[in-house]
Amino acid sequence: MSTRLLSASAPFILTVLVFLALAIALFIGLGQPPLQTLAALVQFAVGDSYSLSQTLAKTGPILLCALAAAVPGRLGLISVGAEGQLHAGAIAGTAIVLLAPTWPAPVLLPLMLLCAAAGGALYGYVPGLLRARLDVNETIVTLLMNYVSVLLVAALVFGPWRDPASQGWPATMQFPPAAVLPALPGSRIHLGLLLGVIAALALHVYFNHSRWADKVRILAGNRKVGETFGLSFGFWVIVLMSVGGALAGLAGISEVSAIQGRLQQSISLGYGLTGFLVSWLSRHQPLIILPVSLCVGGLVAGSDALQMFAKVPAASAVILQGLLFAAALAVPGLLARWRNAS
Amino acid sequence: MPDSLVQFEGVTRRFGDLVAVDNASLDIRAGEVLAILGENGAGKSTLMKMLYGLYPASAGEILIHDAPDKINGPADAMRAGIGMVFQHFSLLPALSVRDNLLLSWPRTPFWKSRRNTDTADVLATLAELAPHIDPDCPVGSLSVGEQQLVELCKVLNIDARLVILDEPTSVLTPDEAERLHGFIKQLAGRGVAVALITHKLADVEACADRIVVMRRGRVVDIAERGARSITETVALMMGQSVERKLQRPPVLEKIVPRLVLENLSARRPEMALQNVSLSIAAGEIVGVAGVAGNGQALLAEVVAGVEPLTGGDVLLDGVSIARHNPYDAVATPLGYIPEQPRDNGVVGTMTLARNLALRELAQGNRPPVTGRDLLFRFNVNPPDPMKTAGTLSGGNIQKLVSARELGGQRQAVLACYPTMGLDLAAIEMVYAAMFAQAAAGAAVLWISEDLDDLLAGCHRIAVMREGQLVALLDNSSTLTREVVGAHMIGLTETEAAA
Ligand SMILES: Nc1ncnc2c1ncn2[C@@H]1O[C@H](COP(=O)(O)OP(=O)(O)OP(=O)(O)O)[C@@H](O)[C@H]1O
Ligand SMILES: [Mg+2]
Repeated sequence: MSTRLLSASAPFILTVLVFLALAIALFIGLGQPPLQTLAALVQFAVGDSYSLSQTLAKTGPILLCALAAAVPGRLGLISVGAEGQLHAGAIAGTAIVLLAPTWPAPVLLPLMLLCAAAGGALYGYVPGLLRARLDVNETIVTLLMNYVSVLLVAALVFGPWRDPASQGWPATMQFPPAAVLPALPGSRIHLGLLLGVIAALALHVYFNHSRWADKVRILAGNRKVGETFGLSFGFWVIVLMSVGGALAGLAGISEVSAIQGRLQQSISLGYGLTGFLVSWLSRHQPLIILPVSLCVGGLVAGSDALQMFAKVPAASAVILQGLLFAAALAVPGLLARWRNAS
Repeated sequence: MPDSLVQFEGVTRRFGDLVAVDNASLDIRAGEVLAILGENGAGKSTLMKMLYGLYPASAGEILIHDAPDKINGPADAMRAGIGMVFQHFSLLPALSVRDNLLLSWPRTPFWKSRRNTDTADVLATLAELAPHIDPDCPVGSLSVGEQQLVELCKVLNIDARLVILDEPTSVLTPDEAERLHGFIKQLAGRGVAVALITHKLADVEACADRIVVMRRGRVVDIAERGARSITETVALMMGQSVERKLQRPPVLEKIVPRLVLENLSARRPEMALQNVSLSIAAGEIVGVAGVAGNGQALLAEVVAGVEPLTGGDVLLDGVSIARHNPYDAVATPLGYIPEQPRDNGVVGTMTLARNLALRELAQGNRPPVTGRDLLFRFNVNPPDPMKTAGTLSGGNIQKLVSARELGGQRQAVLACYPTMGLDLAAIEMVYAAMFAQAAAGAAVLWISEDLDDLLAGCHRIAVMREGQLVALLDNSSTLTREVVGAHMIGLTETEAAA
């Protein structure tokens, strides 16, 4: 039993070790004292309550975007559209706030979340429909659609939605308090994270213990067999792409409402792509996505702070992420190969 | 003693607890045809896959004459002059025949593009072995038998010293098989060793020099040609004797149409079904004969509601069961055994128990608990419901699908090559289950390339050619292979008689 546990966790432990080695090499290359810098990274990720709140603030959107890739991923689809869906959700959620800024929070908040989810879902629905009906590759469509909604946000905040009071700064007006997602007092831990956790748990149950679980599994395993027994591949493509889009849409409005307080450019620190990688590392399993999102959230927050306080270049945050993913993708494969050979 | 090209010394291969090949010792000599017989799951494919470098041996050694290094993968094997044609093909369906051959041709210079017409060398073997295959048509549109021939050309093209064929004739028409036998003998004459895994004694009679029999992972017998009688060989394979007893189905007392195909039309690139009409009565068995690639696959998928039809209808007891709209899937009520069940009949990543319950699971219902019984009844090996379907041997996947489709009573059965890759005992078992369905009132549509079996078991035989039913023959005692065969290739009856 314990040896089995050990051999199951070996890839994980080795991945972490390899990542640390690569990170140390990076810091040495940058001329920084490696161990101290590493310690500072950990400090900035989980050292105190402020760091922890930063980490969790990054975890939320990464988690939601990872789920956005995981949901279609369960059917074998490769959606890289979380970034675009996040922006589409942000636009749709902001629209309702701009339309009805004076509505009370109990009405406005749920409506805002709903619109954001719908906006994201629509943004997933389109590539889903194209795949289901015309067999257009969903990866390409989602990739291209990312540019559209990111640029649409720019067009809106530079144009019709720009707040005249902001003196030229491209952003909408500040959200009214009724449209700001509740957060733990004095922290940036907001409702979006809770939604992500609930969604992950719900998806776990749905994909593993519900009566629909096997339908998706059959279609993912063998589309033709699924269709022989009456499962419509197209239907499930559309449903899962839309649900994934809705989750990313929630990530978008959470960033706008709880973190930025207004819609502006650069609401996402590349969460869509980060989430995509998290999802694939976790093999689209929600219960694995949860802790992995937290780790990556910590890395993002920690390296973000590191570049501000230590003398490392801004790009090192992205490089560290890249090293983590490279290690996580390469190590288990290499390990399996060595085991097979021996 | 002739040169031994390959020597297996005490080779064992385990998959977890299962011993697939157990302490096998054997040599393969240059210029001989070595037939490898054994029931499903005996370890034939695994033994040869080890030689080809796909699996390392768990114990023992494989020595290859003149090849200094150990074989660690197919690339090494090819370099050592070993080629293998798999039971389960490895062609790229979207590419043309020519491109598939070019891709695996070691002498293909990288600048040779698909547009290059200077590829005669690559196509030489193809022209010899299968002149009727057009090198420019995509592999996906070929019949299984034709794909097998392309796969074979691929291997012959590497100038192999040893060619491994894993059940090459199970999907070939008698004609194609005969041509293949000739080719195998020719290869051996040139000094190439051929290892031929087969379930067909006809293959053995036609070309084997030595015969190896495997049972449950062990090599139980190696004999020169002619040293054993057929019954002895079969007894060695099975550990018991099996006799073939296909009984003519009872004459129907009354004709109640059950499964009705009405003017079916359907289209797929390279193949079209035109106005296929056929009415099968309750209890009736109708066979479909035809040269591979004449639309049988498309017909099956249209009747099973997998492929949408463009015209006509399929009725089961008067209710349409066809897929009219390509966007809606329909659950087929037929007991449906598709061709190539590994691709079309099972979900390889799921357990045997779940594969048996796919119908229920797809409806969102709880699976029944009869899994283990069914596995035993249909002799699926290993009968472990928790095993993953993808790890079963080719024949056992076929049995698994039969278990699911024939395990309970059906109103109608559609069986495509239901005995492909099965050993004799399993063939009897599947036929028995299929005929029992008919006896209990099911309408049975049975697509096969084995004319003898069709003649032995059907009430009527329909012949398909170029997407149409060209003949519908009553299987009276006067119907012969020759008559059916003449219809298959398009001779009129007078020509056939002449
Ligand atoms: N990759 C694998 N993992 C686990 N078990 C396997 C694997 N491949 C084969 N086996 C098992 O090893 C045994 C031998 O399989 P093999 O494919 O060699 O049989 P075979 O003699 O070729 O049978 P058939 O005539 O049905 O093709 C079977 O019981 C099979 O289930
Ligand atoms: Mg085999």
